[in-house]
Amino acid sequence: MKTMKIKSFMTMMVAAVALVMGVSSCGSDDDEPEVAVAAEVAGSYEGNEIVMVDNDESSNETKTYVLTKVTDASIDMNIPEIGMGMMTIPALTVNGIGLKKEGNTIAGRLATYNGKVTNAKGEEKAYTVSDVNILFGDKNVVVTFSLKYGTMPFIMATTFTGTKKIEN
Amino acid sequence: MKIEKYFLAGMALSMPVIGISAQTFRDSIELEPVVVTASHSPKALKDAPVVTRLITLHDIKITDATNIQDLLIQEIPGLEFGFAMSQETSLNMSGFGGNAVLFLVDGERMAGETMDNVDYSRMNLDNVGRIEIVKGASSALYGSNAVGGVVNIISRENIEPWTANANSRYSSFGHEWRHGASFSFNKGKWNSQTSFQHTAIDPVDLPKAHSSMEIAQELLKKAQGLPYDESVLIDDSNLSRLYGQKTYNVKERLTWRANDHLTFVGRGGYFFRTSERDTHDYHFNGYSGGLKGRYAWNHERHLELSYAFDQYDKANYMDGTRTHDHDYSNRQHVLHALYSHSFGNNALILGADYMNDYLSTYQFATGTSHSQNNIDGYAQFDWNITEQLNIVGSVRYDYFSASAQKAFTERLAVVYKMPWMTFRANYASGFRAPTLKEMYMHFDMGNMGYMLRGNPDLKPEKSNNFNVAIERTNRIRNSGFLDGRYNFTLMGYCNVFDKRITTIDGGLYNGMESALYWNEDGITVWGVDASLGHIWDCGLMLKLNYSWMKETGSVYYSDFYQPRTHSMTWRIGYEHRFSRHYALDAALSGRSQGKPQSGRTDVDGGYTIWKLMLQHHIWRGINLNTAIDNLFNYKPKTYYYCSPLTTGTSFSIGLSIDFDRL
Repeated sequence: MKTMKIKSFMTMMVAAVALVMGVSSCGSDDDEPEVAVAAEVAGSYEGNEIVMVDNDESSNETKTYVLTKVTDASIDMNIPEIGMGMMTIPALTVNGIGLKKEGNTIAGRLATYNGKVTNAKGEEKAYTVSDVNILFGDKNVVVTFSLKYGTMPFIMATTFTGTKKIEN
Repeated sequence: MKIEKYFLAGMALSMPVIGISAQTFRDSIELEPVVVTASHSPKALKDAPVVTRLITLHDIKITDATNIQDLLIQEIPGLEFGFAMSQETSLNMSGFGGNAVLFLVDGERMAGETMDNVDYSRMNLDNVGRIEIVKGASSALYGSNAVGGVVNIISRENIEPWTANANSRYSSFGHEWRHGASFSFNKGKWNSQTSFQHTAIDPVDLPKAHSSMEIAQELLKKAQGLPYDESVLIDDSNLSRLYGQKTYNVKERLTWRANDHLTFVGRGGYFFRTSERDTHDYHFNGYSGGLKGRYAWNHERHLELSYAFDQYDKANYMDGTRTHDHDYSNRQHVLHALYSHSFGNNALILGADYMNDYLSTYQFATGTSHSQNNIDGYAQFDWNITEQLNIVGSVRYDYFSASAQKAFTERLAVVYKMPWMTFRANYASGFRAPTLKEMYMHFDMGNMGYMLRGNPDLKPEKSNNFNVAIERTNRIRNSGFLDGRYNFTLMGYCNVFDKRITTIDGGLYNGMESALYWNEDGITVWGVDASLGHIWDCGLMLKLNYSWMKETGSVYYSDFYQPRTHSMTWRIGYEHRFSRHYALDAALSGRSQGKPQSGRTDVDGGYTIWKLMLQHHIWRGINLNTAIDNLFNYKPKTYYYCSPLTTGTSFSIGLSIDFDRL
């Protein structure tokens, strides 16, 4: 009888915990028809790059980002060098960012990109660029992403705001 | 036999609550608890020479706290834990940072550091019997670091033939799980206490006011010259994600009473914590051990000799491989001697310690490590001049080999008992010797071209603490609703803190900007602490603690440190046994922190957080604990280093089974 009471009690406990663990909902992204937008976005952009580490501003510089058309609806992004001297992170690429027309703007998103790069010392370093957001409108672009580079013990949250350079 | 009786009586007095039930809740307040921290010897709380805040086992259980950090923020007004860089924990207690508050476990120091003190997560509460907090300087008894206060965590000593407990608790904040188990036995001359605790908490993403895409949209409008919402672009938060972590903590203490005069206590412990950072994992290991022998000639005279070892290591791991670029190891060996001799109502204590402190860290120049020896001697005389008047005087001398620094500290405490209240006045000096890190740091911060440099010429920090207090404890009878017992304490203090060790601009060093450890001008901390407790005969309970504090002098506000003028904690409790098989302890508690004295307005000025806790004592030995934390769903507008760790209302549910009582 004693055992039964404990068993019942434990069952109730497990049920109570299961109830409060929460459930996750699933949803599917709306499938919109692909629009040829990559050519419009592709180009070199000059502007201001702000790098935040632990929500503190680490650098604030003028930079050039290059977006290259891959398909009608996707681009690659070239992130220029970050930092200086021994601290320099070499230029990085992020490939396969899908684009969509959203009203008057074109938006690109990529959850994660893993790459490898060789630095000035000839060492191969792994990097991960995540939470990539690209927003384009009227020759202006805003790019935000988080960068994890090599063994650096922090993540760099980067925001770039630039204007498309006119090709000569 | 007589000694054994005293020993058991002492244990029973000092551990008034063993096991939790509605009745023991009442016992914990009605009985006259014994404290040791204020005088290095057992004294009834009402006779302690300095105001001592006692957190009982019932307080620990009803707060549902996992570690000392969770507990203290709910119990002590004016005490806040915040974050610093890399989410190391920092402490602020009534204007003092963590390195000015000495944490002890059963009177022993701990090795290692996080931001400004030891790793608080080592101090789990699974086998803790009570915690004593003495605010103000206590270096004349405890040496370095006891500048702003001492927190002494004292383990439980079960006296039953055997006890066994298993407990488990889930909290929705970070999906945290806590599992614990403890076992003890008393057999013949042997007493053993074993405890184990494991915790695991997931990373917690702190909500931001705006998503990165919303911010990008406003930035694009700005770039296009269109109207945009500037407020979306302002983000003053310092934290966006709390790292997940796991801890494992196992402790054993074995007591052997060889005869009526001689007792040996051996202890050992192992702690492991892993903190899952964005780019790597930190591993923390703590090892502790010790052996204490106590010889009592009689009730009046005893000698205590002990050896203690504590080691705290840190290392960085990436993808399961140790990187060796953040290796840290701190080891302490302590030899301790204490002789106590009572002369009637008066008592003399003589003590001496030797400590060897070794530190090897990635923050030193490559390939170097440092160590130092600390030797001290102290004496205390407890003079009970009359039944009403008690004077306790203490002096202590410390020597530190690495800095060749000496420190002489003293304390004079007067207690005068009047029929209707007790008056206390206390002067104490405190000091903190420069740490090995502060003397020998040579650290290029994350290879970012900024050097942190130690300074071997640092002087010890010094403090002079004055406080006066009145206390009244009484029972109300035949007054209807108010019938019960109450306690009121009012304390005013002034702590003059000088030669503070901090960092200043160190100029260019090897072509890099640098910061240098330096003794700065001091501050004076003024404060008033008031506490009121009332236990009604009908089962209601009220505890109210208020703290007012003001800093003057060379005040410096860092991002990690936001002293507040007003703060308060409270608890309204009710306990009732409904039947032989069911009793309830309910508590509605809260804490309120006023606006930071810095006057910063970019973050929340102050906050109030409420918590509802229900402890169901079901049958014998089964306790079901449920809690709703942050009852009114307070959410910081931004998460800065001193924000409370909450994302809104959370709940927890836990089960504890005392197998020996089934």
